[in-house]
Amino acid sequence: MGEIEKRVNTVIIGGGPAGLTAAIYARRSLLNTILLEKLTPGGQAATTDIIDNYPGFPDGITGPELMQLIEKQAVRFGVEIMFDEAQEIIPKDSLYIVKTQGGENLLTKTIIIATGAEPKPLEVPQEKQLRGRGISYCATCDAAFFKNKTVAVIGGGDSALQEAIYLTKFASKVYIIHRRDQLRASKMLQEKAFKDEKIEFVWDCVLQNALGEKKVEGIEIKNVKTGEFKTIKLDGIFVSIGYNPNTAFLNDFIELDEQGYIITNEDTETSRPGIYAAGDVRKKSLKQIITAASDGAIAAYKAEEYISKNK
Amino acid sequence: MALIQDNDRKFLIDKFSKELINPVKVVLVTGKKGISQITQYNEEYLEVIQQILEEVKELSDKIELEVIEFNSDNPFIKEHNVEFLPFVAILGAKNSKVYFSGIPAGHEFTTIIEDIVDVSREETKLSKLAKEEISKIKKPVNIKVFVTPTCPYCPRAVRLAHQAAMENSLIRAEMIEANEFPELSQKYNVYGVPKTIINDSVEFEGAVPENMFLEYLRNATAEN
Repeated sequence: MGEIEKRVNTVIIGGGPAGLTAAIYARRSLLNTILLEKLTPGGQAATTDIIDNYPGFPDGITGPELMQLIEKQAVRFGVEIMFDEAQEIIPKDSLYIVKTQGGENLLTKTIIIATGAEPKPLEVPQEKQLRGRGISYCATCDAAFFKNKTVAVIGGGDSALQEAIYLTKFASKVYIIHRRDQLRASKMLQEKAFKDEKIEFVWDCVLQNALGEKKVEGIEIKNVKTGEFKTIKLDGIFVSIGYNPNTAFLNDFIELDEQGYIITNEDTETSRPGIYAAGDVRKKSLKQIITAASDGAIAAYKAEEYISKNK
Repeated sequence: MALIQDNDRKFLIDKFSKELINPVKVVLVTGKKGISQITQYNEEYLEVIQQILEEVKELSDKIELEVIEFNSDNPFIKEHNVEFLPFVAILGAKNSKVYFSGIPAGHEFTTIIEDIVDVSREETKLSKLAKEEISKIKKPVNIKVFVTPTCPYCPRAVRLAHQAAMENSLIRAEMIEANEFPELSQKYNVYGVPKTIINDSVEFEGAVPENMFLEYLRNATAEN
């Protein structure tokens, strides 16, 4: 199992809004805290162009800016951010060991899982070959490669519409391919997208395949009502069809729902004592930055309570 | 007008005073508009990058800034194999090959700050396993990481490459701002970022975890 290298009160897994808020609260309770982040702090929120619904920013704020502010706040209270990925959780007496990809073993009293969710991949034959060659999961990252080009956004939720609106700054035309004839996105975003002359909605259609060998040259779509197939020539496909929770590393160690989200009570407690889940990784009805932050605060509060009770 | 905002400046002064140990030399290679190392897409940034770096220098007395005008006879240009401008190198005692081609702005500003800290401390944040493996590489390795300033995943990919370069001086790791070098981006089929290319033979998209990065590095070095 390897030697124990660090002993802490709390290991927070994931540095998005849930994990960073948990870090702020944990550190303010003077819990010795390590936050594991596999990529860059900020999570999915950092890939959002403009955030208009987080209170306190009357004119909106960009995702990266908001997340940098929250990270700074967590760092100010002394959280240690470790760039590594959790691989496994192993119980040890009344404690837990978090094993990491980088070979560290962290012995901890409590764990806050805030690993979030990842965009669902397109399940079309050419996905693997064309990923990074016209198929993108991040409009803010890659929009600039599609100046004066035609692109499609697949999906109909808030993030699909936000991406489409962002893409109109670069692309000459943006199709939104949606499997139904109604959108899940908020009414305000819908209105904005409907008004945009560069955006064209393609209703009741699902993506059958991405066309092209070395780069995307078009898409093949199928109308789910009529069964008709159609191809559209275009240069880029932006995928926004929902998320999968990042819970594979848990290997059924804690209770998950059918889709892999962690089941908790309203206090973010999971099926294991001392382990909490916060943010998009938790089964809940509204996945937003504000609810992720709220989960993080509750999880840290409960972690502290657990540690005091089990001294 | 200052490019680094007041509150960021305070944060960075504090960070550097706590974290920097040894002196760090930041070298900017710049040039006159119109020379072939500068594209029409980045000439407008030449003054901006110089100003950013001058402001960074002011954040700590451990940071030195040298500005060099491009000249192919200059020994620095030869030694560091400077091809694209503006070019930035972060140099410490170990003479690691930690480079930026194009402006390290937006999200990449974080990268340059973290690089300065690591070079100054002569210590990276890679895991023990990664450090061991990278130190065993015996042949030169060239890593290019294409980014855009609006890509939040990109700093992670650049930092992995830069830290690898700090751990082994045979590794040359260069961030390339894709928008400023469209021909280069086209040559390497960059339509999404981050995109990492190792020894022009192994390439991968996305900010991958450290263990996957090591695997790609292993594949690229095994082929040589």
